[in-house]
Amino acid sequence: MATAKDVMSTKFHTLLPDIHITEAVKMFKKASEKEQQKVFGMMVTNEDGRLIGMLSMYDILLFIRPKHIHIWGMMEDIDTDGLIGRACEKAKNILVGDIMTTDLITVTKDTHLMMVLDIMIKKHVRRIPVLEEEKAIGIVYISNLFYHLLDRLIL
Amino acid sequence: MVILDKKKTLTGLLVKEAMRKQVIHLPQSASIDNGISALIKYKINAFLTKDENGLPTGVVSKTDIMGAYYASLPLETHLNNIMSFSPLFCNPNDTLESALDIMRSKGVYRLYVIGENRKKVVGTLAYPDIVGLLYLYCNDCEYSHYRKKRKKQADPMIRRYKVKEVMTSFVKACGENDSLLKVMEDLSIYRFGAVLITDKNNHPSGVISKTDLSISYKHGVDSQTEAKNIMSSPVRSCEEDELLEDAIKQMIFTDVHRLFVHKDDPQNIVGVFSLSDAARIRSGSCHACLSSRIKVDKHD
Repeated sequence: MATAKDVMSTKFHTLLPDIHITEAVKMFKKASEKEQQKVFGMMVTNEDGRLIGMLSMYDILLFIRPKHIHIWGMMEDIDTDGLIGRACEKAKNILVGDIMTTDLITVTKDTHLMMVLDIMIKKHVRRIPVLEEEKAIGIVYISNLFYHLLDRLIL
Repeated sequence: MVILDKKKTLTGLLVKEAMRKQVIHLPQSASIDNGISALIKYKINAFLTKDENGLPTGVVSKTDIMGAYYASLPLETHLNNIMSFSPLFCNPNDTLESALDIMRSKGVYRLYVIGENRKKVVGTLAYPDIVGLLYLYCNDCEYSHYRKKRKKQADPMIRRYKVKEVMTSFVKACGENDSLLKVMEDLSIYRFGAVLITDKNNHPSGVISKTDLSISYKHGVDSQTEAKNIMSSPVRSCEEDELLEDAIKQMIFTDVHRLFVHKDDPQNIVGVFSLSDAARIRSGSCHACLSSRIKVDKHD
């Protein structure tokens, strides 16, 4: 039976909740360089290694997005000089634990692959942590799942 | 075209035109810690709490969070211990004037918009949302300050509002060495959203808002800490004779809810001006607003 363990990646990077967002962004870049592919999300663990959240590119962009952006789109000429810098400046006081997603969906290494697929589609998630006794042992990326199934499809 | 029966800028505008459709809600059993995360992440001043059946039970605002910080409640405390009960509702087709009347008479800063089935909350309406809508009209208006700049035409004989006409002249300040407890007491007593921080020479050196306090609470900062350790600096201010539309633009585009107002010298703070103040005057940024709005509506 194909399960999460067949497609999960066991090489993953984690963040601590009390580091600044700016530091987390640097770690995203380092991880991307190391893995030779863009890393768009990381698991957040406490000092015991227990999974407590996920920080994705989306969480960071959501924070940087201006509050009144809906007005911008309806205006012809906006003087945006310095606005991106000021938006990023606000992120400097913010910690990973402040904006990480804590309402997590997780699976175990024995969860059937089709169940993982179903969760990803229904919940619109692209990566799911794999847990064992509350600790992360891997992560399933939607791309890995897709290519695993693709191999079966073209047989 | 909107039919205007009274000479007021907001006449004919409906709640659904200004409301924000994103409604953030948390279970009332969630922790204060989770609540602060939602406030920070979504840049909101309050959120709804819901019971196990998904029905709205209350509102938690930054003021409630500040109260919990002041009382040294653990961050794990459930939101139902600090929430305000009975959120106030309006309908999408209510007029903005009636919504503003409720907000003013009840002393609240936001209303929740309930859908036609009266079960689902479909939006929120706060003062900045109303200002945002008015600003759009101002920007499109043929008498717009910006349009005149672009076309290099002479200003018409229309008197434009200045910041000093709508600002609050009373400014409460705390010293850099005052504790966060003192700051929270002043914010609570004077019902302000932020307090000015001054140095030993009484010069403005920073600002502490309820957002700053919420973040400090979440980060475990002791409430006896001195104000200078968490204040935002420098103080964002504008000149008292600045045009209202310029001040509003600055706030809307830099995600700032208030500007302090100085006279002649940035060290001489004489007032404070917030997006809520701008909404309360129920107008755009000049006395031409009513006629220009009719023209804008005609083009829709």
